[in-house]
Amino acid sequence: MKNEELDYIIDESFRTEPEFRLPADFARRLTLSLTRREQWKTDVREYLYLTAVLISLLAVATVTYYLIDKDIVIRFFSFITQNAVTVVLIVLILNFILLADRVLLPLLFNRYKRAS
Amino acid sequence: MNDTELVNQVLNGNMKSFTFLVNRYQKLVVHITGRLIQRREELEDVSQEVFLKVYQNLGKYRNECKLSTWIATIAYNTSINYLRKFKKSDEAGLDEKAILDKLTEYRPDDYETTDLHRYIREQIELLPVQYRTVLTLYHLEEFSYQEIEQITGMPEGTVKNYLFRAKALLKEKLKFVVDESSLKLVKEISNEK
Repeated sequence: MKNEELDYIIDESFRTEPEFRLPADFARRLTLSLTRREQWKTDVREYLYLTAVLISLLAVATVTYYLIDKDIVIRFFSFITQNAVTVVLIVLILNFILLADRVLLPLLFNRYKRAS
Repeated sequence: MNDTELVNQVLNGNMKSFTFLVNRYQKLVVHITGRLIQRREELEDVSQEVFLKVYQNLGKYRNECKLSTWIATIAYNTSINYLRKFKKSDEAGLDEKAILDKLTEYRPDDYETTDLHRYIREQIELLPVQYRTVLTLYHLEEFSYQEIEQITGMPEGTVKNYLFRAKALLKEKLKFVVDESSLKLVKEISNEK
C-alpha cells in the first residue's frame, strides 16, 4: 500500500462518526426536565416573595402594636371581625385573580398555542 | 432558523426552540464528551450537564463566535472537569514512547484491509485526551485551528503538532501495510518535524 493510500484511509477513519450516541428522545426529555426545574425555581421564588410579604405585614403590625399605637391594631382586627363577610369576599376575589393569573390563563394559553 | 434567531427564541422562553437547539447540536456535544470521557454509561449525564450550562449561560452568549464553537467550548470544559473530578486522567502523558506502547500493534493477519478503519478508530480511543480532542474537533467537527484554539485554549501550533503526531503515531503502528519506499518517506517527514 502506498503512503498516500494510507493517509487517505487514516483521514477517512478520523472523519468517521464514533459509535456512541444519545437516545432518540434525549432532547425532549432534557427540555422536559429543564421546564420542570425552571417551574420549580419560579414556584419557590414566588413562595419566598409571598412569605416575605406576609412576614413584612406581621412585622409592621407588631411594630405598630408595641411601639406606636396598640389601639390601631386592635381596631384593625375588630374591623375584620365586624366585616367578616366583606373581608372573606375580598380574599376570595384576590384568590380567584391569583388562580386565573397562575393557573387558568397559562392553561388556556397553552391549549390555544397547541391548537393553532 | 439561523442560530441568532434560535438563541433569541430560547431567551424569550420558547422551550420548543431549545429542543430544536439540542437536536441541532447534540451530535457535536456527544462527539466531544464521548471521545473525552470514554464512558458510555455516563455520556448522557455529561451531555445533559453541557446543555444545562448552555441554557443557563445563553444570555451571556455574544455573537463573537459561532454558536457551535461556544457550545463546543462548554462541552470541552465540562468533559475536562469531569475527567479531573473523577480522576480519570490516568493517561500515558504526552511521552511519545508511552503512547506508542499503549497502542496495539497492527497485525495484518488479524485484520483484513477493510478492517483498517476499525483498527484506526480503536487506536484513536487509546490516544491521550489532547490528541483525541484535536482529532475530533478538526476532522470530525471540521473546526478551524483558530476555533480549536478558542475551544481548548491550546495554541494553534500545539493543535497542529498534536494532529501531526497523532497521525505519525498511527502510521508507525501501520508501517507493515505501507510499502518500503513510502515508509522511508513517512520516516523522513517524521524526523523533519
